[in-house]
Amino acid sequence: MGISDLLSVVVFLPLAGAVVSALVPKTRPEVAKWVAAITMGLGLALTVWIVAVFDRTASGMQFVTNVAWVPQAGIHYHLGVDGVSITMLALSSLLGLIAVIASWKVTDRAPTYFAMLLLLQVGMNGVFLALDFVLFYMFWELVLVPMFFLIGMWGGTRREYASVKFFIYTLAGSVFMLVGMIALYLHTGTFDMVALAKAGSTGALGIGFQNWVFLAFFLGFAVKVPLFPLHTWLPDAHVEAPTAASVLLAGILLKMGTYGFIRVSLPMLPDAARAWAPWIAVLAVISIVYGAAVAFAQTDLKKLVAYSSVSHMGFVMLGIFSMTTAGLNGAVAVMFSHGVVTGMLFLIVGMVYDRTHTRQIADLSGLSSAMPVMGGLLAFASFASLGLPGLSGFVGEFLSLIGAWQSAVIPHWITVIAAVGVLLAAAYMLWMVLRVVLGKPSEVLRGLPDASTRELWVLAPLVALTLIVGLYWSSLLAFVDPAVKALVALVGGAA
Amino acid sequence: MASWTLIVPEGLLLAGALVALFAEVLFPGGRRAGAWSGAAFAALAAAVSIAAGSGAALFGGQFAVDPATQVARTATLLLTSAFLVWLGGAGLERERVREFAALVLFASLGALLMAAARDWIVLLLALEAATMPAYVLMGFDRGDDRSLEGALKYFLLSMVASLLFLYGMSFVIGMSGSTLLAASRLQPGAVGVVAAAFVFAGLLAKLSAAPFQWWSPDAYAGAPAAAVAFVSSVPKIAGLFAFARVVAVLAPQTAATGPLLAAAAVASMLIGNLAAYPQTDVRRLMAYSGVAHAGYLLVGLATGTVAGTQAAVFYAIAYAVPSMGVMLVAAQYGATLDALRGLASRRPWVAWATALMLVSLVGVPPLAGFTGKLYLFTAAMRSGWVWLAVIAVVMSAVSAGFYLRIMRAMFFGTDESGEAPIAGSPASAAVVVACALAVIVVGVASSPLLAAITFAK
Repeated sequence: MGISDLLSVVVFLPLAGAVVSALVPKTRPEVAKWVAAITMGLGLALTVWIVAVFDRTASGMQFVTNVAWVPQAGIHYHLGVDGVSITMLALSSLLGLIAVIASWKVTDRAPTYFAMLLLLQVGMNGVFLALDFVLFYMFWELVLVPMFFLIGMWGGTRREYASVKFFIYTLAGSVFMLVGMIALYLHTGTFDMVALAKAGSTGALGIGFQNWVFLAFFLGFAVKVPLFPLHTWLPDAHVEAPTAASVLLAGILLKMGTYGFIRVSLPMLPDAARAWAPWIAVLAVISIVYGAAVAFAQTDLKKLVAYSSVSHMGFVMLGIFSMTTAGLNGAVAVMFSHGVVTGMLFLIVGMVYDRTHTRQIADLSGLSSAMPVMGGLLAFASFASLGLPGLSGFVGEFLSLIGAWQSAVIPHWITVIAAVGVLLAAAYMLWMVLRVVLGKPSEVLRGLPDASTRELWVLAPLVALTLIVGLYWSSLLAFVDPAVKALVALVGGAA
Repeated sequence: MASWTLIVPEGLLLAGALVALFAEVLFPGGRRAGAWSGAAFAALAAAVSIAAGSGAALFGGQFAVDPATQVARTATLLLTSAFLVWLGGAGLERERVREFAALVLFASLGALLMAAARDWIVLLLALEAATMPAYVLMGFDRGDDRSLEGALKYFLLSMVASLLFLYGMSFVIGMSGSTLLAASRLQPGAVGVVAAAFVFAGLLAKLSAAPFQWWSPDAYAGAPAAAVAFVSSVPKIAGLFAFARVVAVLAPQTAATGPLLAAAAVASMLIGNLAAYPQTDVRRLMAYSGVAHAGYLLVGLATGTVAGTQAAVFYAIAYAVPSMGVMLVAAQYGATLDALRGLASRRPWVAWATALMLVSLVGVPPLAGFTGKLYLFTAAMRSGWVWLAVIAVVMSAVSAGFYLRIMRAMFFGTDESGEAPIAGSPASAAVVVACALAVIVVGVASSPLLAAITFAK
């Protein structure tokens, strides 16, 4: 087995785990979580190996596997990684394991629950590694099914509504993507995403064609991100989903959308991307400000974190459509950091909810006097989320704004408004910290235990990554930068 | 192998039907022997159909099997066999299992002939042979007025459809001076268009496509769910195949073919997907789902290209398997959404297999439904029907809503009836799981199947 087969193993190992987990008898639910933990642990170990041997100086695809699958229809089984996708793969593998350990106490239909988490992992890993468009679409859609069941079977009170809304919203977006994909295939004769990127950058596709294909992909990706005004599924899905599903939804599923813009829209349809960039930047800024403003008004802690995601993903979109090296580096950095930090926030909210059965900010005041460690971690995660320098959230937002300011396609006033969004983020997060962490101790919290050892182990790697990326940017950007530079050269944006 | 072996599957089905009819005499005490022996005959016929190969013609070219025909016939036989295994093991207290099995085999025999027919008269006879037993199956609950009403509606509309087809066909034969399909000639001008339109109208009604779809919800809702499971799925493969043959002959001769079929496709997709929403009876819901899927099939035929026809045949199989599987579950565990509530906790294997089939009907990859739609939409866009493909994908997304309602009932609902769970038999559960596995295999390994669907000139 060569190293290129490792990618296939990383993608399909969770599938084997899902089958095994599903076959665990109902009477032995604890076996299922061990199956899941071992599978995810192995997956993470393999991912670390891939990261270690990854050539950080190269900009192209590495560890490529490419074999014909349905030759009549031009479909290949084609996997590979570059600096952008390896970042996302690492995040996905890490959060996958954390999601399993965070679900350690799930006993309700546990074999099915862990099978669904593992199936979700197949889709998430696959999307970031697929280099054939049909394969990409398969993994993209595969994600919907386990998430539908995770929300619908283990979710909160409005779980049925939220799960169906999530499924139909994202499906409706992605079917347009299917049309765009077929159009590209018929125009170029290939589903090969690397070849399509080349075709796009050499001007083989006319602007009229690019424009409507871009629109088709935009609908698919923007729903997933989610970009204002296509975001309305997100608060429902996030709030109703069980903690582990929320972590993966925010940490990985949203990134699939922005990853799509980076992997598909920019390189394959560069002329349309340039033409649309100002308008998308406007939507991005609306997302930033609107997400922050709505987060301000929330009384439910989980909803606040959910709306903060809308705001943060706005920065990613701004960075991507600046079409500059700094902006794209920043976008990927926000994608990574948001996955880590928002994952942390959702986990803490979940842990607090398990004890108190409430997520109301008013009920949780004085958290740090009742649970000093938990309160401290919440404050830490909040500071990372609002972009405090020295923590991971700062890097990406800073670079996104720099990129947007340098950008030839985004007007300066948009960047100025986005910068104000940073202040809003600081405001709603600090106000939440003020009320929850420092407030007068609430009756609800009396006598509840502080973070357990297992919970600390769940959060520890995320805390560590927040600090490492925050203090030593190039640990992350060394991977991303060559791929981004190549992309910018391809689309012909400013350096 | 001698060319007469091509027609051995028909002979085996006929023998199987006769054995089934007299099963209680031949195998005393075996109440379900008719179904089991019928399943064995159908499976044997499938094996013969594979072994007999393709390429030859019989009866002066009236009957021919090319590779695509062989695929359609084999799929029909395998599904018939699976259905009869389910019938044998269903554990339902259904009287007259032997008659049911015999009728299914007769209908399947008609379907086989329909796929291989290369002559207008043979095609008409095969169409009738496939439909006649279906009237009886749909009205199988003799004591139930709704069943009889549904069967009567089905009978009347089906007769009208046959007459429309016959009327159009008589024009075509008159214009071409031969009854062979390949020799068909349409005169230019209105008369050719009218002839083609009548032929298509008859075939559309048989396929339960709009604007001739209105019989199917009432007929299905009145009929026993087991009859619906068969009638709504298995004969559609051969029906679509015959339709594709006729289109291949007539499309080059009248430019009206594409627009006519595209209009029917749009109407079917819109009516089927939207009208399925308010349904609470799984039979009605699947009836409208059948209308919608007939629409997707017509998208392939409307292209008038080989790729489109190939995709449509592929999709007919990709539709028939899960459609039969879902209806079998409804036949066994209850045909209303309420009856299926909480099925996941009572019968987890059956529920998950059903979920998989429903998701395939929505068109989620990597399942058969997705692969089929990918080929259909690619063929449509390749021949310039971009707007048709866009309507089809939007309607696929819309369809998720009503398929998800079945999944919600099975997985998110809890069983409040307090009734004892219905005993399932291992054989019937195995058939449902096998259908689900087939959906995965056809979706993932589509290449060999697609390669096999090739048409002789």
